[in-house]
Amino acid sequence: MAHQAHAYHMVDPSPWPLTGAIAALLMTSGLAIWFHFHSTTLMTLGLILLLLTMYQWWRDIIREGTFQGHHTPPVQKGLRYGMILFITSEVFFFLGFFWAFYHSSLAPTPELGGCWPPTGITPLDPFEVPLLNTAVLLASGVTVTWAHHSIMEGERKQAIQSLALTILLGLYFTALQAMEYYEAPFTIADGVYGSTFFVATGFHGLHVIIGSSFLAVCLLRQIQYHFTSEHHFGFEAAAWYWHFVDVVWLFLYVSIYWWGS
Amino acid sequence: MAEDIQQKLEKYRTAPFDARFPNQNQTRNCWQNYLDYHRCQKALDAKGVDTAPCDWYKSVYKSLCPLSWIEKWDTQREDGTFPGKI
Repeated sequence: MAHQAHAYHMVDPSPWPLTGAIAALLMTSGLAIWFHFHSTTLMTLGLILLLLTMYQWWRDIIREGTFQGHHTPPVQKGLRYGMILFITSEVFFFLGFFWAFYHSSLAPTPELGGCWPPTGITPLDPFEVPLLNTAVLLASGVTVTWAHHSIMEGERKQAIQSLALTILLGLYFTALQAMEYYEAPFTIADGVYGSTFFVATGFHGLHVIIGSSFLAVCLLRQIQYHFTSEHHFGFEAAAWYWHFVDVVWLFLYVSIYWWGS
Repeated sequence: MAEDIQQKLEKYRTAPFDARFPNQNQTRNCWQNYLDYHRCQKALDAKGVDTAPCDWYKSVYKSLCPLSWIEKWDTQREDGTFPGKI
Protein backbone atom coordinates (compact mmCIF):
# COMPACT_ATOMS: atom_id res chain seq x y z
CA MET A 1 0.00 0.00 0.00
CA ALA A 2 1.62 3.28 -1.12
CA HIS A 3 1.50 6.34 1.15
CA GLN A 4 2.51 9.88 0.35
CA ALA A 5 5.90 10.85 1.82
CA HIS A 6 4.89 14.51 2.29
CA ALA A 7 2.31 16.50 4.21
CA TYR A 8 0.65 18.14 1.23
CA HIS A 9 -2.73 17.39 -0.30
CA MET A 10 -2.78 16.00 -3.83
CA VAL A 11 -6.46 16.54 -4.58
CA ASP A 12 -8.40 13.78 -6.35
CA PRO A 13 -9.72 14.60 -9.82
CA SER A 14 -12.87 16.68 -9.54
CA PRO A 15 -15.50 17.86 -12.04
CA TRP A 16 -16.36 21.02 -10.13
CA PRO A 17 -13.79 23.37 -11.68
CA LEU A 18 -15.19 22.43 -15.10
CA THR A 19 -18.83 22.84 -14.04
CA GLY A 20 -17.86 26.16 -12.45
CA ALA A 21 -16.29 27.37 -15.67
CA ILE A 22 -19.33 26.22 -17.66
CA ALA A 23 -21.56 28.03 -15.18
CA ALA A 24 -19.54 31.23 -15.68
CA LEU A 25 -19.87 30.88 -19.46
CA LEU A 26 -23.63 30.25 -19.27
CA MET A 27 -24.21 33.16 -16.89
CA THR A 28 -22.27 35.68 -18.98
CA SER A 29 -23.67 34.63 -22.34
CA GLY A 30 -27.06 34.21 -20.68
CA LEU A 31 -26.83 37.83 -19.54
CA ALA A 32 -26.20 38.94 -23.12
CA ILE A 33 -29.09 36.77 -24.38
CA TRP A 34 -31.35 38.30 -21.77
CA PHE A 35 -30.40 41.83 -22.80
CA HIS A 36 -30.95 41.26 -26.51
CA PHE A 37 -33.56 38.50 -26.82
CA HIS A 38 -35.55 38.81 -23.56
CA SER A 39 -34.96 35.16 -22.54
CA THR A 40 -33.62 34.27 -19.08
CA THR A 41 -33.29 30.52 -19.68
CA LEU A 42 -29.55 30.40 -20.31
CA MET A 43 -28.72 32.69 -17.42
CA THR A 44 -30.96 30.73 -15.02
CA LEU A 45 -29.29 27.50 -16.13
CA GLY A 46 -25.91 29.06 -15.42
CA LEU A 47 -27.07 30.23 -11.99
CA ILE A 48 -28.32 26.76 -11.05
CA LEU A 49 -25.07 25.19 -12.23
CA LEU A 50 -23.14 27.77 -10.18
CA LEU A 51 -25.08 26.97 -7.02
CA LEU A 52 -24.61 23.24 -7.56
CA THR A 53 -20.88 23.73 -8.17
CA MET A 54 -20.43 25.81 -5.01
CA TYR A 55 -22.38 23.35 -2.88
CA GLN A 56 -20.57 20.27 -4.12
CA TRP A 57 -17.07 21.75 -4.31
CA TRP A 58 -17.15 23.15 -0.80
CA ARG A 59 -18.85 19.99 0.51
CA ASP A 60 -15.94 18.01 -0.95
CA ILE A 61 -13.41 20.32 0.74
CA ILE A 62 -15.16 19.77 4.06
CA ARG A 63 -15.05 16.00 3.46
CA GLU A 64 -11.34 16.13 2.58
CA GLY A 65 -10.41 18.31 5.56
CA THR A 66 -12.75 17.46 8.40
CA PHE A 67 -13.50 13.79 7.67
CA GLN A 68 -10.40 12.55 5.83
CA GLY A 69 -7.70 14.56 7.61
CA HIS A 70 -6.03 16.01 4.52
CA HIS A 71 -5.73 19.52 6.00
CA THR A 72 -2.35 19.18 7.70
CA PRO A 73 -0.61 22.32 9.03
CA PRO A 74 1.15 23.14 5.73
CA VAL A 75 -2.10 22.60 3.85
CA GLN A 76 -3.91 24.87 6.26
CA LYS A 77 -1.18 27.48 5.80
CA GLY A 78 -1.87 27.40 2.06
CA LEU A 79 -5.58 27.84 2.70
CA ARG A 80 -4.81 30.83 4.92
CA TYR A 81 -2.69 32.44 2.22
CA GLY A 82 -5.50 31.78 -0.25
CA MET A 83 -8.15 33.46 1.84
CA ILE A 84 -5.92 36.43 2.57
CA LEU A 85 -5.11 36.88 -1.10
CA PHE A 86 -8.77 36.61 -2.02
CA ILE A 87 -9.78 39.23 0.53
CA THR A 88 -6.96 41.45 -0.73
CA SER A 89 -8.34 41.20 -4.26
CA GLU A 90 -11.75 42.24 -2.91
CA VAL A 91 -10.14 45.23 -1.22
CA PHE A 92 -8.87 46.34 -4.62
CA PHE A 93 -12.33 45.78 -6.07
CA PHE A 94 -13.85 48.21 -3.58
CA LEU A 95 -10.93 50.61 -3.96
CA GLY A 96 -12.06 51.16 -7.54
CA PHE A 97 -15.52 52.26 -6.48
CA PHE A 98 -14.12 54.54 -3.83
CA TRP A 99 -11.86 56.04 -6.50
CA ALA A 100 -14.90 56.68 -8.67
CA PHE A 101 -16.73 58.32 -5.76
CA TYR A 102 -13.86 60.62 -4.83
CA HIS A 103 -13.14 61.49 -8.47
CA SER A 104 -16.66 62.84 -8.90
CA SER A 105 -17.23 64.31 -5.45
CA LEU A 106 -13.93 66.17 -4.88
CA ALA A 107 -14.32 68.28 -8.06
CA PRO A 108 -18.04 68.43 -8.83
CA THR A 109 -18.74 69.56 -12.40
CA PRO A 110 -20.98 72.47 -13.49
CA GLU A 111 -23.60 69.94 -14.56
CA LEU A 112 -23.99 69.05 -10.86
CA GLY A 113 -24.02 72.72 -9.84
CA GLY A 114 -20.37 72.69 -8.84
CA CYS A 115 -21.31 71.26 -5.44
CA TRP A 116 -21.58 67.94 -3.63
CA PRO A 117 -24.20 66.62 -2.97
CA PRO A 118 -25.30 67.78 -6.43
CA THR A 119 -28.18 70.23 -6.82
CA GLY A 120 -31.49 68.47 -6.34
CA ILE A 121 -30.12 65.53 -4.35
CA THR A 122 -31.30 65.14 -0.75
CA PRO A 123 -28.81 62.74 0.83
CA LEU A 124 -29.73 60.34 3.64
CA ASP A 125 -29.15 61.66 7.15
CA PRO A 126 -25.96 59.91 8.28
CA PHE A 127 -27.08 59.98 11.89
CA GLU A 128 -30.26 58.00 11.35
CA VAL A 129 -30.43 54.44 9.90
CA PRO A 130 -26.85 54.53 8.53
CA LEU A 131 -25.54 55.12 12.06
CA LEU A 132 -27.65 52.26 13.35
CA ASN A 133 -26.23 50.08 10.59
CA THR A 134 -22.74 51.02 11.72
CA ALA A 135 -23.56 49.99 15.27
CA VAL A 136 -25.08 46.71 14.06
CA LEU A 137 -21.97 45.73 12.09
CA LEU A 138 -19.57 46.78 14.84
CA ALA A 139 -21.59 44.70 17.31
CA SER A 140 -21.47 41.75 14.92
CA GLY A 141 -17.68 42.09 14.88
CA VAL A 142 -17.72 41.70 18.64
CA THR A 143 -20.05 38.67 18.56
CA VAL A 144 -17.97 36.90 15.89
CA THR A 145 -14.87 37.39 18.06
CA TRP A 146 -16.82 36.02 20.99
CA ALA A 147 -17.72 33.01 18.83
CA HIS A 148 -14.07 32.48 17.94
CA HIS A 149 -12.95 32.49 21.54
CA SER A 150 -15.81 30.15 22.46
CA ILE A 151 -14.65 27.67 19.82
CA MET A 152 -11.04 27.90 20.97
CA GLU A 153 -12.09 27.34 24.57
CA GLY A 154 -14.35 24.40 23.74
CA GLU A 155 -17.49 26.26 24.83
CA ARG A 156 -19.91 24.61 22.45
CA LYS A 157 -23.15 26.27 23.52
CA GLN A 158 -21.66 29.77 23.66
CA ALA A 159 -20.08 29.29 20.25
CA ILE A 160 -23.46 28.39 18.78
CA GLN A 161 -25.19 31.31 20.49
CA SER A 162 -22.64 33.96 19.54
CA LEU A 163 -22.37 32.71 15.97
CA ALA A 164 -26.17 32.73 15.63
CA LEU A 165 -26.27 36.25 17.07
CA THR A 166 -23.65 37.39 14.54
CA ILE A 167 -25.76 36.03 11.70
CA LEU A 168 -28.90 37.70 13.08
CA LEU A 169 -27.09 41.03 13.22
CA GLY A 170 -25.99 40.51 9.62
CA LEU A 171 -29.59 39.84 8.59
CA TYR A 172 -30.75 42.87 10.56
CA PHE A 173 -28.25 45.04 8.64
CA THR A 174 -29.51 43.62 5.34
CA ALA A 175 -33.14 44.25 6.28
CA LEU A 176 -32.41 47.83 7.37
CA GLN A 177 -30.44 48.53 4.21
CA ALA A 178 -33.19 47.06 2.03
CA MET A 179 -35.68 49.37 3.70
CA GLU A 180 -33.34 52.35 3.18
CA TYR A 181 -33.04 51.46 -0.51
CA TYR A 182 -36.82 51.32 -0.84
CA GLU A 183 -37.39 54.61 0.98
CA ALA A 184 -34.48 56.59 -0.51
CA PRO A 185 -35.46 59.88 -2.23
CA PHE A 186 -32.93 59.25 -5.02
CA THR A 187 -32.28 56.31 -7.36
CA ILE A 188 -29.30 54.77 -9.14
CA ALA A 189 -30.31 56.78 -12.22
CA ASP A 190 -29.91 60.11 -10.44
CA GLY A 191 -26.64 61.24 -11.93
CA VAL A 192 -23.21 60.34 -10.67
CA TYR A 193 -24.42 60.65 -7.06
CA GLY A 194 -26.93 57.85 -7.54
CA SER A 195 -24.46 55.73 -9.48
CA THR A 196 -21.63 55.95 -6.95
CA PHE A 197 -23.96 55.54 -3.99
CA PHE A 198 -25.87 52.48 -5.15
CA VAL A 199 -22.98 50.67 -6.86
CA ALA A 200 -20.67 51.04 -3.83
CA THR A 201 -23.29 50.31 -1.16
CA GLY A 202 -24.93 47.70 -3.38
CA PHE A 203 -21.79 45.63 -3.78
CA HIS A 204 -21.18 46.02 -0.07
CA GLY A 205 -24.67 44.68 0.67
CA LEU A 206 -24.02 41.72 -1.60
CA HIS A 207 -20.86 41.01 0.40
CA VAL A 208 -22.85 41.18 3.65
CA ILE A 209 -25.19 38.54 2.26
CA ILE A 210 -22.26 36.38 1.15
CA GLY A 211 -20.58 36.80 4.54
CA SER A 212 -23.78 35.96 6.42
CA SER A 213 -24.17 32.82 4.30
CA PHE A 214 -20.58 31.79 5.00
CA LEU A 215 -21.18 32.28 8.74
CA ALA A 216 -24.44 30.30 8.51
CA VAL A 217 -22.57 27.36 7.00
CA CYS A 218 -20.09 27.63 9.88
CA LEU A 219 -22.99 27.57 12.34
CA LEU A 220 -24.32 24.35 10.81
CA ARG A 221 -20.83 22.85 10.92
CA GLN A 222 -20.30 23.90 14.53
CA ILE A 223 -23.60 22.26 15.47
CA GLN A 224 -22.45 19.09 13.71
CA TYR A 225 -19.14 19.00 15.64
CA HIS A 226 -16.87 19.75 12.67
CA PHE A 227 -14.71 22.28 14.54
CA THR A 228 -12.14 21.47 17.22
CA SER A 229 -10.62 23.97 19.59
CA GLU A 230 -7.33 23.74 17.66
CA HIS A 231 -8.57 23.39 14.10
CA HIS A 232 -11.43 25.47 12.70
CA PHE A 233 -10.03 27.26 9.71
CA GLY A 234 -13.39 27.44 7.89
CA PHE A 235 -14.68 29.54 10.76
CA GLU A 236 -11.58 31.73 10.83
CA ALA A 237 -11.91 32.39 7.09
CA ALA A 238 -15.56 33.36 7.59
CA ALA A 239 -14.61 35.65 10.48
CA TRP A 240 -11.85 37.36 8.44
CA TYR A 241 -14.32 37.90 5.61
CA TRP A 242 -16.87 39.29 8.04
CA HIS A 243 -14.36 41.77 9.51
CA PHE A 244 -13.43 42.84 5.98
CA VAL A 245 -17.13 43.52 5.22
CA ASP A 246 -17.34 45.56 8.43
CA VAL A 247 -14.27 47.64 7.55
CA VAL A 248 -15.59 48.35 4.04
CA TRP A 249 -18.81 49.60 5.62
CA LEU A 250 -16.87 51.94 7.92
CA PHE A 251 -15.13 53.47 4.91
CA LEU A 252 -18.45 53.72 3.06
CA TYR A 253 -20.10 55.36 6.04
CA VAL A 254 -17.38 57.94 6.59
CA SER A 255 -16.85 58.72 2.88
CA ILE A 256 -20.25 58.51 1.20
CA TYR A 257 -22.78 58.85 3.98
CA TRP A 258 -21.04 61.34 6.24
CA TRP A 259 -18.46 63.39 4.27
CA GLY A 260 -20.55 63.04 1.12
CA SER A 261 -23.61 64.66 2.67
CA MET B 1 -13.96 103.53 -7.35
CA ALA B 2 -16.63 103.49 -10.04
CA GLU B 3 -14.30 105.35 -12.42
CA ASP B 4 -11.63 102.69 -11.88
CA ILE B 5 -14.13 100.02 -12.84
CA GLN B 6 -15.08 101.98 -15.96
CA GLN B 7 -11.42 102.36 -16.87
CA LYS B 8 -10.83 98.66 -16.26
CA LEU B 9 -13.77 97.76 -18.46
CA GLU B 10 -12.62 100.12 -21.23
CA LYS B 11 -9.09 98.74 -21.14
CA TYR B 12 -10.35 95.14 -21.24
CA ARG B 13 -8.79 92.90 -23.88
CA THR B 14 -9.27 89.36 -22.58
CA ALA B 15 -9.50 87.42 -19.34
CA PRO B 16 -6.37 88.04 -17.24
CA PHE B 17 -4.43 85.30 -15.44
CA ASP B 18 -6.39 84.18 -12.38
CA ALA B 19 -4.18 82.46 -9.82
CA ARG B 20 -7.21 80.57 -8.52
CA PHE B 21 -7.23 78.61 -11.77
CA PRO B 22 -3.58 78.12 -12.73
CA ASN B 23 -3.87 74.99 -14.88
CA GLN B 24 -4.82 74.16 -18.42
CA ASN B 25 -8.41 73.18 -17.59
CA GLN B 26 -10.21 76.54 -17.30
CA THR B 27 -13.74 75.13 -16.90
CA ARG B 28 -13.94 76.24 -13.29
CA ASN B 29 -12.76 79.75 -14.26
CA CYS B 30 -15.62 80.10 -16.77
CA TRP B 31 -18.14 78.61 -14.33
CA GLN B 32 -17.04 80.80 -11.41
CA ASN B 33 -17.24 84.05 -13.39
CA TYR B 34 -20.62 83.12 -14.84
CA LEU B 35 -21.89 82.52 -11.29
CA ASP B 36 -20.19 85.64 -9.93
CA TYR B 37 -21.76 87.85 -12.62
CA HIS B 38 -25.27 86.65 -11.88
CA ARG B 39 -24.76 86.70 -8.13
CA CYS B 40 -23.39 90.24 -8.41
CA GLN B 41 -26.41 91.29 -10.48
CA LYS B 42 -28.81 89.74 -7.98
CA ALA B 43 -27.07 91.24 -4.94
CA LEU B 44 -26.67 94.79 -6.30
CA ASP B 45 -30.20 94.79 -7.73
CA ALA B 46 -31.54 93.86 -4.33
CA LYS B 47 -29.69 96.85 -2.81
CA GLY B 48 -30.88 99.12 -5.62
CA VAL B 49 -27.29 100.03 -6.55
CA ASP B 50 -25.75 100.47 -10.01
CA THR B 51 -24.73 97.05 -11.34
CA ALA B 52 -21.90 98.29 -13.58
CA PRO B 53 -19.13 96.61 -11.51
CA CYS B 54 -20.72 93.27 -12.40
CA ASP B 55 -19.82 93.76 -16.05
CA TRP B 56 -16.23 92.75 -15.30
CA TYR B 57 -17.35 89.18 -14.58
CA LYS B 58 -19.46 89.25 -17.71
CA SER B 59 -16.48 90.24 -19.84
CA VAL B 60 -14.40 87.46 -18.33
CA TYR B 61 -16.92 84.68 -18.81
CA LYS B 62 -17.73 85.89 -22.32
CA SER B 63 -14.02 85.59 -23.11
CA LEU B 64 -13.58 82.17 -21.55
CA CYS B 65 -16.77 80.17 -21.92
CA PRO B 66 -17.85 78.24 -25.00
CA LEU B 67 -20.94 79.92 -26.48
CA SER B 68 -22.94 76.67 -26.24
CA TRP B 69 -22.36 76.57 -22.47
CA ILE B 70 -23.55 80.17 -22.05
CA GLU B 71 -26.65 79.47 -24.14
CA LYS B 72 -27.37 76.27 -22.21
CA TRP B 73 -26.97 77.93 -18.83
CA ASP B 74 -29.06 80.97 -19.85
CA THR B 75 -31.85 78.64 -20.98
CA GLN B 76 -31.60 76.66 -17.73
CA ARG B 77 -31.87 79.87 -15.71
CA GLU B 78 -35.01 80.82 -17.62
CA ASP B 79 -36.49 77.34 -17.09
CA GLY B 80 -35.56 77.32 -13.41
CA THR B 81 -33.34 74.25 -13.87
CA PHE B 82 -29.96 75.91 -13.53
CA PRO B 83 -27.98 73.71 -11.07
CA GLY B 84 -25.72 76.46 -9.71
CA LYS B 85 -26.51 78.58 -6.67
CA ILE B 86 -27.16 82.20 -7.66
